[in-house]
Amino acid sequence: MSSPRTLDARASVAWLRRFARTTPGVVAVIAVAVSAGCVIAGLVCGAQLDGRIAEHNAVLDHSEPLAYAAQNLYAALSAADAAAASAFLSGGIETAPIRARYQQALADTTSALADVTAGATDPNTRIAAAEISAQLVAYTGLVESARANNRQGFPIGSAYLREASSLMQTTLLPGAERIYTGNLAAVDEDQRAVESLPTAGLVLLGLVLVAIGVGSVMLSRRTNRQFNLGLVVAAVAVLLVGVWIVVAIRMAAGAIEQSRTEGTAMFGQLAKARILAQQARTDETLQLIARGDITAGEKSFNGRIVDLGALLGTEPSAASDGVRNWTASHHKQVEAYLGGDYPAAVGQAIGTDPGASAAHFAAVESGLRDQIEQTRATLRDRVSAAGAWLAWSPTGTLVLMVVAAVAAVVGLWPRLKEFL
Amino acid sequence: VRARIVLALTALVLGAAGCGSSSTPPTAVTVAPIEAQPAGAQEVTTLPAAGNADCDREASLRPGPQPRPGGMPPGSTMAAIAERGRLVVGVDQNTFLFGFRNPASGQLEGFDIDVAREIARSIFGDPDRVDLRVVDASQRESALESGQVDLVVRTFSITCDRKDKVAFSTTYFNANQRILVVKGSGIASAADLSGKRVCAVRGTTSLSALFALDPRPTLFGVSSWTDCLVMLQQGQVDAVSTDDVVLFGLAAQDPNTEVVGPSMGIEPYGVGIKKENTDLVRFVNGVLDEMRADGRWQRLYDARLRSLGPSPDPPSARYQD
Repeated sequence: MSSPRTLDARASVAWLRRFARTTPGVVAVIAVAVSAGCVIAGLVCGAQLDGRIAEHNAVLDHSEPLAYAAQNLYAALSAADAAAASAFLSGGIETAPIRARYQQALADTTSALADVTAGATDPNTRIAAAEISAQLVAYTGLVESARANNRQGFPIGSAYLREASSLMQTTLLPGAERIYTGNLAAVDEDQRAVESLPTAGLVLLGLVLVAIGVGSVMLSRRTNRQFNLGLVVAAVAVLLVGVWIVVAIRMAAGAIEQSRTEGTAMFGQLAKARILAQQARTDETLQLIARGDITAGEKSFNGRIVDLGALLGTEPSAASDGVRNWTASHHKQVEAYLGGDYPAAVGQAIGTDPGASAAHFAAVESGLRDQIEQTRATLRDRVSAAGAWLAWSPTGTLVLMVVAAVAAVVGLWPRLKEFL
Repeated sequence: VRARIVLALTALVLGAAGCGSSSTPPTAVTVAPIEAQPAGAQEVTTLPAAGNADCDREASLRPGPQPRPGGMPPGSTMAAIAERGRLVVGVDQNTFLFGFRNPASGQLEGFDIDVAREIARSIFGDPDRVDLRVVDASQRESALESGQVDLVVRTFSITCDRKDKVAFSTTYFNANQRILVVKGSGIASAADLSGKRVCAVRGTTSLSALFALDPRPTLFGVSSWTDCLVMLQQGQVDAVSTDDVVLFGLAAQDPNTEVVGPSMGIEPYGVGIKKENTDLVRFVNGVLDEMRADGRWQRLYDARLRSLGPSPDPPSARYQD
């Protein structure tokens, strides 16, 4: 059934073998091998560079905004807890600004939660976000129970508030922390992916150069001419592509390194600092609500302030000034409390006086928030710069490699024509 | 018949094709419902410190001649307190009626607080020179032993075990251990607690009494009585059992609850004092004697505890010497 065709095929293969041993055959093989190699290497390099650009876009469009949203979620949750404690401490009827701060923190939390959920592709983050939603609803319910009871003068109000805060500190915040650290790690991973060299493409470029070299040697033996101009042009184009790729990737890597040290790492530290500040604020307010032995609360507060100081470093900034003032104000609060002057201690903690802890804490919080925004801008700017180095590389590579292929064919055509 | 077979076969083939092309949907997220509990709530399965009933718990030291305010005998504990300018008292802030923070004023109020202020009045002539420190029920002994506070006036039941560590004044109030339940729960006495979940504060005599019940109910230990009411409201326990005055204070915060059952035991409240400070014990007993005699005890009862019913007479003092 298939024998005539098979015979036919065998015959043509045999003819090709014979033809390949002849000089025109060799020239044709070199032309085909070099031009095909150029096109294939060009496609692979282009695709790999495209991949680097896609990773860079992933940082800007996906992982970085997600980490930022997760950081906001964590910070908004701790802010809600600190605000709820302040509102409770301020008595039966909290002032409008204090209530508004709590409501703002809740709005920030749910906004951040929506961003985190929308960007989450892995099931773990989605589960963690769902857990936070469920816990947040329970949390607000407990806070309102505390508020309703407190307004009636029932001491059970403080029991509900302590339960709410315990839910926040033991389940909500650790859950948010897991999302946040996972996302920050994803940013780092995407950043590293941008700066890695496209090895497969470079190896192919090398092979094409070897093919051109071997082809040139064979050609000079068969035709007694030293150089073939087409092959020389092709080799120069291939070298140019190799240099372009290495330089572009190295420059991009430099920008990415900057984005990692001045961006991601700083961002992580500042976010940690912001959360430590919120938790210390909750500590100092809960001390006054529990109104008991403050040794444990003080230990926790002081530990967090020390960690906060270490994160902020020695450079003067609005945040570190704020922390110094806040700590001094907190000591006044503790002094008043230990001296038995409870109303003075409460006033020092949540009063509207500019010398009270509330104002200093607000300064720390806004200082850290500004620094986080700046760091975020640096991170995105550096990653964008890395993208600019890569922007034309896939197209350029492909075009140069096609030029190389065409040059090889055009250069070899006269040698082939001699035999036709 | 043939047509039907063809039809059936067609249906089968179509069905199979349908099965092959249907894709499994991506797994949806599911999370467990959230059940919040008061911080540190835990089931109690080991016996709290063994009860030692072999003593005359209510007997205290007889007061000597009572010094006047401002004239404390030199070298005495009271003189040191007068020197310091404030009497430091460990109290509660979560027990309605006895020691609680009035949210409107931010001040601590209650029968225990009033007793503490009367003692301050006897030292300084001024009831306001008192520094109230909130202590947890389980910290009452240690706060006295460490000298953190001079006195503990905090629904502090006198027991023989506690008398090994701290000294007590004479009894200034007699409470009865009873049970707080949600109305219509069907629990009417200690016998009905079998198989139920009951809440009590860790380190209290109430918890020891519940532990001794046979059969023993499932017990939950928390750090404050209001945490027990939270657990009752959240349906995490069926009953709370402790002194009736504490329970009435909880019931006053939730009209759906009621105090039931006969007394499971009398709990005499005394002022806790560091064991070495015998002069202060005699002095406080002198103050309590004066309060019983001049009608101040009665006035404080009427002002704070009227909701518990008509005033019983103040408990009479008993002395060991």
